Amino acid sequence: MSAAEAVFRQDFPVKGGDFGKAGTVACRIKELLKDLGLDTWTVRRAAIVAYEAEMNVIMYAWEARVDLAVSAGAVHLVFDDRGPGIPDIELAMTEGYTTATAEMRELGFGAGMGLPNIKRNADDFRIESEVGRGTRLDITIRTNGHRTS
Amino acid sequence: MNNPNYHAIHITKDKCLGCVHCMSACPTRAIRVGEGKARIIDQLCIDCAECLRVCPYEAVHSHTTSFASLEAFEYKVAIPSTVIYGQFGPTVLPNEILSALRRVGFDEVYDLSSICELNCAATEEYLNEHPSPRPYITSTCPVVVRIIQRRYPSLCGQILPIEPPREIGAKILRTILPKALGIPAEKIGIIHITPCPAKMVSINSPATLARSYLDGAISIRDIFPQILKALRKSEEDALMRHLFPETLFSGIGMGWSLAGGETRGLKSHRAVAVSGIGDTMRVLDEVEGGLLQDIDVLECTVCPDGCVGGPLGVENRFLAKSRILELVAAAGEHAVVDQKDVSRLYHRNFLSFDHPVAPAEPRPLDSDPDKAIRKAQRRETIFAGLPLKDCGICGAPDCRTLADDIVRGFARLEDCPFIKKEAR
Repeated sequence: MSAAEAVFRQDFPVKGGDFGKAGTVACRIKELLKDLGLDTWTVRRAAIVAYEAEMNVIMYAWEARVDLAVSAGAVHLVFDDRGPGIPDIELAMTEGYTTATAEMRELGFGAGMGLPNIKRNADDFRIESEVGRGTRLDITIRTNGHRTS
Repeated sequence: MNNPNYHAIHITKDKCLGCVHCMSACPTRAIRVGEGKARIIDQLCIDCAECLRVCPYEAVHSHTTSFASLEAFEYKVAIPSTVIYGQFGPTVLPNEILSALRRVGFDEVYDLSSICELNCAATEEYLNEHPSPRPYITSTCPVVVRIIQRRYPSLCGQILPIEPPREIGAKILRTILPKALGIPAEKIGIIHITPCPAKMVSINSPATLARSYLDGAISIRDIFPQILKALRKSEEDALMRHLFPETLFSGIGMGWSLAGGETRGLKSHRAVAVSGIGDTMRVLDEVEGGLLQDIDVLECTVCPDGCVGGPLGVENRFLAKSRILELVAAAGEHAVVDQKDVSRLYHRNFLSFDHPVAPAEPRPLDSDPDKAIRKAQRRETIFAGLPLKDCGICGAPDCRTLADDIVRGFARLEDCPFIKKEAR
């Protein structure tokens, strides 16, 4: 990464419990990445990651800040939330594991695919969590130089 | 003929007053108003006809086929959308409508409800053979195909590759009629009758076929007066003709034009039906975000309540829907298509797309990645300085779009009336 390389940065707030706005931030991010000329599959992976992470905040946390940074080579997303935190990260990373309430599952959320799905679609994934304070996801999706134009 | 930017929706400049109704209604922000006239941006328009619905001055029109232009054909065949059965009162039966169309001047008229049933059976077979990806999205609505090409390119591969009933019907007739009639194929005109302007898009610029099997599409609105006249002339005979029905209607296909109708006949798959342009876009966003993978097939139609809500129909869609529901109830679960026939056609690929749907050319802010990033940064700065009133006076539908137009070089900051005022 050269020092002169252009980086696009933007941050978005997400409010916990705001199911009415579910997916809005993910859609904004998706539109932005298309405008920046990233290829279809990088955009799709970023959309899936952003959707899952945004849903996690809405379902479990109180609020979060999403930081997006896009350079020619990579999409970098940080989801930093204030919330209950995750006591056992290893368990939370297990496919199908969920702490979603019956109510959430009835709405079609919380199938326990969230965190593993984010990891699967990311090139680099880091998670830190402190019980009672919050969780931070650090996600990188490389564009591999594939661009649409 | 296959121009990817062919459109069925156009603005008649003489009638356009340059108001902002169409621009505010456009779901893809494809309209700008400049020099007192509305203008459609070809690469963004999906032919949904929301503009046609809201224009108070009838300045938005659709290019459908005129009945007079069919004179070139030696033999004229109509295959009307099943929407037509809901356009007349409760005493007018589907058979009478088909027979009235013959008297209007078509040499033959075929019902599509059986082909709708066939399409549903083929869809079932396709889903059985293809366990992934999920969900598949149906392709009956040409606007849905176009919006996926333009806004959801990663979903092109999830479009279920079975041709819609109108194309399958026309393909069957094009195969059998020349031999049966002894008339060369090119002298037989096969015409769809429809409440939908976008059918002209799938005919003139097909996304999945080398060439459409249809020769044109007449709007229900245009041909309605002639059908009505023919119906009135034969009111008394109709009473007796009820006793000798000429066509057997499919109970499964009859409700095809109502939201959920395309997938109602599926036996072993989970389907979700979405209608209306706003909801369709919302759900496609979710699918692109990886949701709805537990759904086998997603039926999307951009008109409210399905094709029955098409802008070129005559009867209001609530009455039309109620009438069609009566006909569905009367036909019951009556099947007219043999599953073995469907299977044979399906395995001969007779019902499939010629080629998959290709994504449209993307529109990044700049083809150079670094320049695109700088333009996106500039766009945010410009947007932050705009009044956020989304008044439309600048000629763009909202402040965000104006900022986008400015960095793309299509507009200037001074176009904003509020900025102008401050500068003075």
